Amino acid sequence: MDVMAKTESTFSTREFMGEIIRIEPVMGDAILTTFTAPKKAVAEARPGQFVQILSREPTAYDPLLRRPYSVYRADQKAQTLTVLVRAYGRGSAWLMRQQEGVSLDVMGPLGAPFTVRPKTERLLTVAGGVGAAPLRMLAEAAIRDGKQVTYLMGANDADGLLPARELPDEVEYVVATMDGSAGHTGFVTDIIPAYLQWADQVFSCGPEPMFRTLRAVIHQHRMGDRPDVQMAVERAMPCGIGACLGCVVETRRGMRTACVEGPVFEMDEMLWG
Amino acid sequence: MGMTHANAPDMVVDLAPRNPRELVLRNPVIPASGCFGYGQEFAGSVDVQRLGAFVSKGITPKSRSGNPMPRITETPAGMLNAIGLQNPGISGFIRKYPPIWLSWDVPAIVNISAKSVEDFAMMARKLDDVPGVAAIEVNISCPNISAGGFCFGWDAAMSADVTQKVRAATTLPMIVKLSPGALDIVEIAQAVEAEGADAVSLINTLVGMEIDIQRQRPVLANVTGGLSGPAVRPVALRMVYQVAGSVDIPVIGMGGIATVADALQFFMAGASAIQVGTAAFAQPRVLMDLIDGIERWLAARGHSSLGGIVGVANERYQLRRQTPRAEDLLTMESEFTR
Repeated sequence: MDVMAKTESTFSTREFMGEIIRIEPVMGDAILTTFTAPKKAVAEARPGQFVQILSREPTAYDPLLRRPYSVYRADQKAQTLTVLVRAYGRGSAWLMRQQEGVSLDVMGPLGAPFTVRPKTERLLTVAGGVGAAPLRMLAEAAIRDGKQVTYLMGANDADGLLPARELPDEVEYVVATMDGSAGHTGFVTDIIPAYLQWADQVFSCGPEPMFRTLRAVIHQHRMGDRPDVQMAVERAMPCGIGACLGCVVETRRGMRTACVEGPVFEMDEMLWG
Repeated sequence: MGMTHANAPDMVVDLAPRNPRELVLRNPVIPASGCFGYGQEFAGSVDVQRLGAFVSKGITPKSRSGNPMPRITETPAGMLNAIGLQNPGISGFIRKYPPIWLSWDVPAIVNISAKSVEDFAMMARKLDDVPGVAAIEVNISCPNISAGGFCFGWDAAMSADVTQKVRAATTLPMIVKLSPGALDIVEIAQAVEAEGADAVSLINTLVGMEIDIQRQRPVLANVTGGLSGPAVRPVALRMVYQVAGSVDIPVIGMGGIATVADALQFFMAGASAIQVGTAAFAQPRVLMDLIDGIERWLAARGHSSLGGIVGVANERYQLRRQTPRAEDLLTMESEFTR
């Protein structure tokens, strides 16, 4: 049933309809989807936060639950948010089929962002796949704040990398590809040791195997507990607001929700099974 | 706010007419246990104070860290969950949440789960005089340790036993939440009614599973999980219809409700109120849309109250409620019970 009545209370919700205004192919088979968003949502979005996008027709029941996407860009001037989408399942496949002009049912921004400490001058970011999204926004914010950023990214081939034009000019962008078509041949985690002494803080987002390798490399090379490492984890999030407890991460302080207490966690806080 | 004019339909529901402590809701829309956290999680998504009431996550005697991941998987028009009742335990719960609810204008119902009758009674006793707690919902879809893990809610005698002990432990309005796994859910409903339940709510989730064919093992770490969402709605509606036609206490219907039309089906089957779970995960505003939409539907068809449509599609419900004399009731029992 449609809803015509507007509530008169001053209550404001995190749910909104955003019209897709731009779709750009990127990173081979992925796209950047840009949609309109309320002023408040754009202004409040922080690097590491995400939006939950309903990925079905409003009258359909499949796929039932929203899908989380890290905020790739929050454009204050255009009043838009951008997300990076690659088809992994039914939800992302649906979103990839949507054209400009379609209205998306969006909730957010949600979750705890990356924390850049005031004293931090040098940021090292380590991206794998669509994990490039929150780190791009972080790099942009850090450069704006006058900090230095080295952005490491790994992919299977040159085509799968985030194009350099998507990052601010000031960012040092270093890449690794499995087939050697760009940068270092091999894993992105191979090139991390060279930067560990330099970095004040490390930020990462990518697939679980990359996290595990990253953790091993850092444990092997870092001095004491410096630099510290924050990781944005990916989880299926049924509610996105800490109610269902379906997306928990096991930490030293017990089970923590990836949607509210994360998706960003201190690497040293997470317990790895 | 919905309608404010003089002829707005009356949406008020009394869920514990037998109980002096009362459980009167301003409207029949209640977020279901497990799906609404402790209320505050939804504060940024819906106007919590507009709800009829809400039900907390399931509370257990001791704190629980819940099941390993994965805990949830999506299924056709539904989802399976095996959260494992992650919660701070009854004492931690009482310290933390009821003080917050005290200033709220919406009744808070506490869902309790335990593996023994004694633990159920202990929790009910502790909650009895806690300010901020309006009622309890007893989750009898738990394994009974002293019965070899057989679920309380699948057996009428065990369901009656829990109800009786909880009733003796508290004067709070008591809702007993029924399990769809029972062989005869009507028998269970009548048993808990006889032991003093103020209302029944149904259905809890249906037990199901999914297998990951790549890894060749169950998707959920717990192997099985509870199925909810639109996929279960026809089953839930059938059980609400049967139970509402067989007890005199209020019935709270739930299972896959996502739209006003879904809710109306449950009212017409005999539910006095509804609970909404899975639909609010995807779209929290569904809770507000239901309140507004039910009211508008009633007004558009000239109903002065919600009560006017409760049970209209359920002949047995109508017979039970419209026959005042005891001898007639007895006749009905012989005619209509199995």
